[in-house]
Amino acid sequence: MKNVIEVKNLTKKYKELKAIDDLSFEVYEGEILGLLGPNGSGKSTTINCLLSLLNFNKGTIKIFGKTMKPSSYDIKEKIGVVFQDIAVFEELNVIDNINYFCGLYIKDKDTRKKYVLDAINLVGLENYKKFYPKQLSGGLLRRLNIACGIAHKPKLIFLDEPTVAVDPQSRNNILEGIKKLRDEGSTIVYTTHYMEEVEIICDRVIIIDKGSIIASGTTDEVKHLASIEEKVTVEVVDLENKYLEEIKNLKHVDEVKYDNNILFITYKKGKNNLIDLIDYLKINKINYTKIFSERPTLNDVFLELTGKELRD
Amino acid sequence: MFYHNFKYSLKILLKNKMLIFWTFAFPIILGSLFKMAFSDIENNEKLDTIDIAIIQTEEFNNNQIYKKTYEELSNKNNKNKLFNIYYIKEKNNLESKKKANQLLEQDKIVGYLFLENKKEIIVKTSGINQTVFKYVTEEIIQTEKIITNLIKEGMSSNSTDQTINQLYEKIYDKVLSINENNTILKDTTNTNLSYTMIEFYTLIAMTCLYGGILAMTSINNNLANMSSKGKRIFISPTKKYKTIISSVLASYIVQLIGLFILFIYTVVVLKVDYGNNFPLIILLALIGSLAGLSLGVFTSCVFKNSENTKTGIIISLTMLGCFLSGMMGITMKYVIDKNVPIINKLNPANMITDGFYSLYYYDTLDRYYFNIISLIIFAMILIVISTFSLRRQKYDSI
Ligand SMILES: Nc1ncnc2c1ncn2[C@@H]1O[C@H](COP(=O)(O)OP(=O)(O)OP(=O)(O)O)[C@@H](O)[C@H]1O
Ligand SMILES: [Mg+2]
Repeated sequence: MKNVIEVKNLTKKYKELKAIDDLSFEVYEGEILGLLGPNGSGKSTTINCLLSLLNFNKGTIKIFGKTMKPSSYDIKEKIGVVFQDIAVFEELNVIDNINYFCGLYIKDKDTRKKYVLDAINLVGLENYKKFYPKQLSGGLLRRLNIACGIAHKPKLIFLDEPTVAVDPQSRNNILEGIKKLRDEGSTIVYTTHYMEEVEIICDRVIIIDKGSIIASGTTDEVKHLASIEEKVTVEVVDLENKYLEEIKNLKHVDEVKYDNNILFITYKKGKNNLIDLIDYLKINKINYTKIFSERPTLNDVFLELTGKELRD
Repeated sequence: MFYHNFKYSLKILLKNKMLIFWTFAFPIILGSLFKMAFSDIENNEKLDTIDIAIIQTEEFNNNQIYKKTYEELSNKNNKNKLFNIYYIKEKNNLESKKKANQLLEQDKIVGYLFLENKKEIIVKTSGINQTVFKYVTEEIIQTEKIITNLIKEGMSSNSTDQTINQLYEKIYDKVLSINENNTILKDTTNTNLSYTMIEFYTLIAMTCLYGGILAMTSINNNLANMSSKGKRIFISPTKKYKTIISSVLASYIVQLIGLFILFIYTVVVLKVDYGNNFPLIILLALIGSLAGLSLGVFTSCVFKNSENTKTGIIISLTMLGCFLSGMMGITMKYVIDKNVPIINKLNPANMITDGFYSLYYYDTLDRYYFNIISLIIFAMILIVISTFSLRRQKYDSI
């Protein structure tokens, strides 16, 4: 697989604070790479360093095989960025905003016209072409922000938390659009602190905390890092202590918690744990109102590796 | 790319309501307020002549230029009669001065002129009448000097004082007899002009300098450390100098449109008189705007504050400059010009105001070109500093 980005030993300090600490990773052609980390973990800083917007203290950055510098116009030509902050002109309507930014890359007017319409369709703003930013809702504005960053059909796209504060429907729209870009051949770096998003769209994920990589790989690979395999939740009223002890000794059970009439059981390994549990409850005539099983999430991985929740 | 960015910068500036208010509407509103305030003053002042005294020293009596000028300025038949003059002649100059001071104490006069080796213009308090008296007298003294020197140069060394004085008289009669508009001295009698037109000239200066807000906003939009839009532009393959120059050019055009509208308004509605030398009026407006633009470029490139703070910096610098060059009354300009001339020599608002003023008042263009060149130097210095500071920000922009 070809490397589109190669980062080696990247270190960035803001005065005393080490925002990025010896970061090394690659991004492969045609993939969606998720950069997952809590607030302040260094995601945006990493992207800004990659783009030469920020100077850094140590390390090398290569994009498309060449060292990235502020004057690397040939590299910049092939990059599209959707920043975390909305970056559009209040004074221009939807179509003008996209056309303006696209025009910084695409000279030919006819090509540009087509590209602008493609971008509008991709993010689903067909009915808002003449709207000004302040007439758009938060979610629609995010979509415009994305369209402005990707209209020139870049080979490499950075998306920095493009779905913050977006309603679920808009979010699905945006995620679908991003997948489409990948399918059309772009390579995508996607930062977020929503692990569900990573699970939905990312081919690979890098989890960072305090500027260092704590895990990386495909989502399944990363999930295996968690020592648990399954989580079962049961709603059951006034469970007696002797049953709790017995459940603890069932096969594969790692931990049992009973709180507020809710029973949490985590399993280290194995399939069919849920069926075994239901059998046990039936035999002992324990009545429950609800029961469900979950696979571990990236949050569990994060929790296990750092001892804290991914989301505050 | 250049044209693309230029076109959109123009659109963005023209659609920004705040900017258009400050650079287009505000000067027009202020100008209209001036007009309302001054039309009262003008009417009042026309009825009132100013009471002054002149001590008849030997020097005064022997100098035909002074004598005739003040005679003319206090002539009943002159429709622009400016002064009521008490001529004072006691036993000696000291006594005369005493008398004049008495009149001053009693508020019978606003000031008096004492001409001997040293020229003294004495006033008790400051005010419009006092300023007019001082200003006009300064002008007369200046003009006298110019004429005297001219003649001295032109005369052979063996001519006597007597013949020189006769010549003065002749020249002066000639000067007075020429068509009103063409004389240097006659112009100073037009009091209406001497202290209300200047406020409109400062208004033009203000508008030129306010234009800097446009350039500042335009550049901020291009700087990665000033706006998120700037980050977008930075990561694009368009070269920084290209986007910045095209944006600044757009802001200059918008600035000139605003200035043009204001000119039309002041000429047609407010009846402001800029004189007849149109090419030079336009040149001054173009260069004045350039000075404003450079102020905006400087503010955006050198200061690291927020956009609002930068706007505040430009507005307050402009207002201070205009105040010192006579926006709230010519007295201020007079005081600064006389006592701390360096301030107004460095003050772009004054360079513009004084440029218009000298274009209107003087037949020679020396003072006008002095102001034009000062403005160009001012603009160049700021732009050079800005360019260096911008170059240094190449990396690590946010
Ligand atoms: N300009 C700056 N000056 C000083 N410190 C900064 C600056 N920008 C970011 N930081 C610090 O660097 C660290 C990483 O910030 P960064 O913005 O990269 O985090 P992030 O992962 O993008 O977080 P978020 O999810 O909130 O966007 C944080 O501790 C932050 O406080
Ligand atoms: Mg961030």
